[in-house]
Amino acid sequence: MLTTAVLGTGLLGLDLIDRVQKSPHLECGLVVGRTPGSRGLAQAAELGCTTAVGGIDALLDAGGFDVVFDVTNAFDHPEHHNKLAATGAVLVDLTPTSTGALIVPTVNGHQAASHRHIGLVSCGGQASIPVLHALAQSYRPSYVEMVATAATAGVGRASRLNLDEYVSITRHALGQFTGADQAKAILNISAAMPAPPFRIAMTVVANGVEQGPIGEVVDAAEAAVRAIVPGYRVIACTVVDNTTVRVVVEIAATRGRIPVHAGNLEVISAAAIHAAEQHAAATSEPKELAP
Amino acid sequence: MTETGPVVIVHDPTLRDGQHAIRHQLDAEQIRAYAAAADAAGVPVVEVGHGNGLGASSYQVGHSKISDEEMLSTAREVLTRSKMAALMLPGWATSDDLRNAVRHGVDVVRVAAHCTEATVTERHLGVIRELGAEAQGVLLMSHMADPDQLAEQCALMVEYGAQGVCVFDSAGHYLPQDVGARIAAITAAVDVPVAFHGHNNLGMAVANSIAAVEAGARVIDACARGFGAGAGNTQLEVLVAVLERLGHGTGIDLRLLADAADLAERVLMPTPPTIDSVSLASGLSGVFSGFKKPALAAAELAGVHPWDLFAELGRRRVTAGQEDVIPDAARDLAAQGVPR
Repeated sequence: MLTTAVLGTGLLGLDLIDRVQKSPHLECGLVVGRTPGSRGLAQAAELGCTTAVGGIDALLDAGGFDVVFDVTNAFDHPEHHNKLAATGAVLVDLTPTSTGALIVPTVNGHQAASHRHIGLVSCGGQASIPVLHALAQSYRPSYVEMVATAATAGVGRASRLNLDEYVSITRHALGQFTGADQAKAILNISAAMPAPPFRIAMTVVANGVEQGPIGEVVDAAEAAVRAIVPGYRVIACTVVDNTTVRVVVEIAATRGRIPVHAGNLEVISAAAIHAAEQHAAATSEPKELAP
Repeated sequence: MTETGPVVIVHDPTLRDGQHAIRHQLDAEQIRAYAAAADAAGVPVVEVGHGNGLGASSYQVGHSKISDEEMLSTAREVLTRSKMAALMLPGWATSDDLRNAVRHGVDVVRVAAHCTEATVTERHLGVIRELGAEAQGVLLMSHMADPDQLAEQCALMVEYGAQGVCVFDSAGHYLPQDVGARIAAITAAVDVPVAFHGHNNLGMAVANSIAAVEAGARVIDACARGFGAGAGNTQLEVLVAVLERLGHGTGIDLRLLADAADLAERVLMPTPPTIDSVSLASGLSGVFSGFKKPALAAAELAGVHPWDLFAELGRRRVTAGQEDVIPDAARDLAAQGVPR
């Protein structure tokens, strides 16, 4: 069993705490916020967690964590990484920073245990790469594109200030996981009412694509992701002119704390827990969960 | 004509918004020809780019014919007096695109967000200021917010560094009194120039622009022959003529501007924009004007009536950039058996 710390107390941090508490392999040792008396910290305390203010330094003072989840922002992550390096903790990065080993559970999740600095790309990357990677196993894409649309209520201040990093790391990861010559990533923030579910529109340009085989590849990728993210659903999958594949997926959040539209948080939170559990499986015995 | 009213700065996005009407296919020759004509007429600001701004060339909204760099450097060569402007949407373009644009001679950069999402403009407005260009904040689809909300959002953008703020009637949905109330609220809330960008879906673009000026707007967007998304924008040469009659100086030579507009009709567009039934449905439903071409294609494919599709998109309150929703909405309508 691994002891974890959560750095950041937004909605995503709170969902992580809940998942850690329900995991047979993980326990929550500390939740660290920045501002004393913040709502997020109070909610973390209500969930029974030990809490602290003072950011990364408070976390280092408390010490002794196997896994640290960084749920802050891309500006602060490099400092967190530097300061944690000496502690030996596994750092799971939920910010759109490009420095950790990029892990997507259904694609290369088994590699998580061999990295101590894990990057989770972005919510859009986690939602699109399983499908795009699967297609790239059968066809050689010249171009891949993903357009993510997240509801405004599910995109906090840190994410809004990190849109450049979001676009950049997602585009980089699309290229890395598909080998496409060119990749494009776009994030929309939608104020449509009622709040729409998290949605990803993907385009793959490759020679010789056919509806039948493409449908099977996409269905298999969908099924694999659903085992980890139950609200993941392929909405449309069409082939145009045997050159272009368009796949649209939507992700509804299925857990109590996160509003149903915020599938963007669900998909990256699930990936973070998956990565931490890979480390736990490699190192320790499960904890005894209360019946 | 005696100038009795305040001066109005005309901002000309013909070479950006017009791209929506031709699937972003302007080439270097077209850009050069019109930019030179607008410059000769004394148009103060000429905006250039993909219809959705810097870095937006994509399957989602269409690939542009030539790169951002080619568009900007071509226009820059011939814009001797006019300032050059570019548009960017955070999440579509990044700070790298801004640096690239300024390197290619852009003087004014507009950072655009959906009308309730001004907080996404914070970082990029700051970057533009650091780069030494003029930073303006834009609220898209502004009919979806009330006057107080818009005033609040504009004040935020000014706090972030915007040296001007602009509301877009992206759907061409406004009537003059809607515009007057919004511009009045915004001018009361900020101490920077306020701009209005109209679309002509309900035939009100010039009237709406005048209502904006009367309520305190000092910058008005307009395109030659109205070349722009959907039913087109406020028609530049008509706007300037009306402003002259009302006694507002623009610094533009109207006769040369009329020539520029004739040239625009000849070289930029297969046909000038018109308020066809689809554009009317779009304006009435409050749907983004740039959806016209993709929506027509989706309606045809799904076998549904475009009018019904626009009504459905309006019901869903779909915002600019969500083009991927259009085929879904069309298929849903077809599945419900809505007759064509």
